Amino acid sequence: MGLVQRQIEAAGFSTITLSNIPDLTAAVSVPRIAAIEYPFGLTAGLPGDDAGQRAALGATLAALQEMSTPGSVRHLPFALPEAMSDLNIHPPESPPIAKYIARHPWYLPNLLRREVPYQAAS
Amino acid sequence: MQVTQEVDSYRFLKGISRRMIKSWISLEKPRAIPWTPLGKPLDQCSVALISSAGLALATDKPFDQEVERQNPWFSDPSFRVIPRDTTAEDIRVYHLHINPDFIQQDINCALPVKRLVELEASGDIGCAAPSHYSFIGYTCQPERLLDESIPAIIGKLREETVDVVVLVPV
Repeated sequence: MGLVQRQIEAAGFSTITLSNIPDLTAAVSVPRIAAIEYPFGLTAGLPGDDAGQRAALGATLAALQEMSTPGSVRHLPFALPEAMSDLNIHPPESPPIAKYIARHPWYLPNLLRREVPYQAAS
Repeated sequence: MQVTQEVDSYRFLKGISRRMIKSWISLEKPRAIPWTPLGKPLDQCSVALISSAGLALATDKPFDQEVERQNPWFSDPSFRVIPRDTTAEDIRVYHLHINPDFIQQDINCALPVKRLVELEASGDIGCAAPSHYSFIGYTCQPERLLDESIPAIIGKLREETVDVVVLVPV
């Protein structure tokens, strides 16, 4: 998402990413990040929690308005409660890359280096 | 005084996923950061949202999940437009790396369009743009996404005179 953000910002829009992996988003040098400790698939809030979702989005936009330095990161004060840590955030079946690496473990270094093996090229 | 702790980027990452993200972070080097200053107050701005959850209207062409099943290093690089009045009943979730059930119950978990329309009603933003956007965020080969889909999204953002874009990865 960071690369997409860079491209859209460069095209003349003010952008911010609401990220639950701010270290990764920041690593690609993006203009603005609102960091939030919500799980994958729930970055903007829990289902049915209208007030919580509104607070997260409002805080993200307020951060964007206040930031004046490229590379700014605002850590938002919202996190998944510990009591909900057993929420099932997993897909119904393993992602294709996980199955592929299980069958071809010698390609794990490629995945870690983000180097697509020649024979898998699109 | 409100004390905000730093977000733990690794709280929800286990095993190989955690290793992979740490490794990918280590591959990056700092580079020049693009910057477009906010040209006017937020309450005069048009705001659009982008989700990488692979959301499409049920009436729209589905994302092709077979692309990723055939080549697990890649995914369907296309994008879909999600109108501002869209609800969870109107969409399907095509990202293969998340539990789609939450978004299928409440689209605002990934693309908070209803919350954005509320912020328009309360006067916090100028307006919620007519169109919002989604693509599948997972790929090790982002070239077609970046060279084809994102320029097309940028064209639509310009057509709708959007000022601010909030990106929501999953």
